[in-house]
Amino acid sequence: MREVTFLEAIRLAMWEEMERDPNVFIIGEDIGRMGGAFGVTEGFLARFGPNRVIDAPISETAIIAVCVGAAAVGKRGIAEMQFIDFISYAFDQVVNVAATYLYRSGGKTPMPIVIRGPSGGYVGGSLYHSQQYEAWFFHVPGLKVVQPAFPDDAYGLMKAAIRDNNPVLFFEHKYLYRRIKGPIPDAHEDYIVRLGEARIRRYGNDITVITYGAMVHFALEAAQRLEREGISLEVIDLRTIKPLDMDTILESVRKTSRVLIVHEAPKTGGVGAEIAARIVEQAFEWLDAPIMRVAAKDSFVPFAEPLEKFVLPSVDDIVAAARELAAY
Amino acid sequence: MSTVSPLVRNGQHVTAHHERLTKQDLLEIYRRLWFARLFDEALYDAKKKGRLRRGNVYSSRGQEAIMVGTTYPLREDDFVSPIHRDMPVFVFRGMRLEEVMCQVWGKAEAPTRGKDSWSHMGDISKGIIHSTSMLGSTIAVACGVLWAQRMDGRHDRVLVAYTGEGATATGPFHEGLNFAAVHKLPLIVVVENNQYAYSTPVELEVPTETVAERALGYGIPGYSIDGNDVLEVYDAMCDALEHARAGKGPVLIECVTYRLLGHADHDETRARQYRPVAEIEMWEKRDPIPRFRTYLLSTGLFTEEELPNPPTDIAEQIQRAIEYAINAPDPEPHTALEDIYDEHAGVSRCVK
Repeated sequence: MREVTFLEAIRLAMWEEMERDPNVFIIGEDIGRMGGAFGVTEGFLARFGPNRVIDAPISETAIIAVCVGAAAVGKRGIAEMQFIDFISYAFDQVVNVAATYLYRSGGKTPMPIVIRGPSGGYVGGSLYHSQQYEAWFFHVPGLKVVQPAFPDDAYGLMKAAIRDNNPVLFFEHKYLYRRIKGPIPDAHEDYIVRLGEARIRRYGNDITVITYGAMVHFALEAAQRLEREGISLEVIDLRTIKPLDMDTILESVRKTSRVLIVHEAPKTGGVGAEIAARIVEQAFEWLDAPIMRVAAKDSFVPFAEPLEKFVLPSVDDIVAAARELAAY
Repeated sequence: MSTVSPLVRNGQHVTAHHERLTKQDLLEIYRRLWFARLFDEALYDAKKKGRLRRGNVYSSRGQEAIMVGTTYPLREDDFVSPIHRDMPVFVFRGMRLEEVMCQVWGKAEAPTRGKDSWSHMGDISKGIIHSTSMLGSTIAVACGVLWAQRMDGRHDRVLVAYTGEGATATGPFHEGLNFAAVHKLPLIVVVENNQYAYSTPVELEVPTETVAERALGYGIPGYSIDGNDVLEVYDAMCDALEHARAGKGPVLIECVTYRLLGHADHDETRARQYRPVAEIEMWEKRDPIPRFRTYLLSTGLFTEEELPNPPTDIAEQIQRAIEYAINAPDPEPHTALEDIYDEHAGVSRCVK
């Protein structure tokens, strides 16, 4: 076991996969000479050389397109979006080119690509350095969407994403990069976290909290607080948002009969809406209360601290919603 | 033969590579021009007669010299990414005509298994890269195919990416060419400037006199050539191939031509309204096929009988493939949900 930061876990996973497989390469802005805006790829250029560590021009479309073209002929590209917000530039490559490639090749041409980058707010990043737009990609067939909350999952999921034969959107919450530390397995263990499997991070009996990313930590804090009040939360960390692990969700719902979905992205059209709909479709008779959602207000993520705080969900919001659910 | 147009960048002229073509080569080029023409006519006819009931037919009439001239000098291991007016390129690069027709008819054994239409197919084993309806996007994808060759130490495999003059106004065209030029990738972008992007004339797509001038911004050679002269296209392509294989980076070739028919078969009436009929008639006189035939006869190498007009065996071959496709099985409905994800064990073909 190694005790590492969230950021280091991602770095090590990529490093070890590049050591293991010469077909893996990384491409992005400032990732080579500088080692990445957040330092996730520090040392990669010296170790793996410029053919596998590509300092790209400011061209998000080209960055992802290079991964697409290379994947078509057997390579495995990891594209870094310096901030995941910038992926909007490359939307066509993600949803129309990469996501569809296997389908329109009649199943012959898989698209092993990882598109990764820092996401999320709570750091004063303002409109274009704070977004959580996983729902954009959640809607698109052919894509997988991942967002870990802990170093061991970040490590195991990144390895799985690199080995996966499909385009994987890998959201790394920048708030967690250096704040969260934890143990990860040693390299020789070849540790993988399979995509599509949620993990219960805290067991409880009264309310199922379904969440992912930085909100897992918020939910765990809320659970601690509510424990004193005698309200027991079960916290499910989805880890993979698409495909959804409905088995784990439904099993928990059948136990608690109360559901709170928490995500940092705006509420309308968010991942939570789909989860709620599926629970209603598949476990309606088990519910004792309406499904509730805690999410960002339907706004952009503003800059000034009081504004950002007002828009993004807080631990207090989760506590308040859980109390309401428990009392229902 | 018309004289060659100057390189935009340095004013040099293209080399007359075609002088080394044998009589057999010239005959094959002639037959390929006819193949493209007859392919087009057969599908228009099938659509008109209701034998092809679904999808559009995007005509390449008048643009045949570009497809033939750009593919003829390629090596077998080169890559191409054809677009919607390049259907014959799929056949020139090794796909079976029956496969191509099954794609047009949306049949189960089509390369896309009926998932996608018309030119959105490919075959990686033959170096044919799939394009999408967003024509500029494949220029950027091409960079990845070529980067993979660089990783494998295969620096001289060239990719020919076809696009239209309209698509040169898109972002991915710029990002792709910029990337390729920065990294000196062997990418040859063939711009089929047929004067209209659907109904929009070239002067509303491109601010410069030629599309080739766009090359200046990337520091790469840009050719503006007569796209209706198959040997001029061939010559420019040979020059571009030498440049790209030598590691000097990408080349832009603008082939000036004209779309004789509408954007697609549904557009025939309006295409004679949004374009001056006199203009269409003028370009009909520049038809690349009779033009090449006249040239071949002028060389004294060929008799009239050696240059059938059209070669009937090609028409028959195309018709047989159409019958094959019409009789081929449709895809099973449930296969619509196959190939969305690949759940095979995700490991590279080559793992340490």
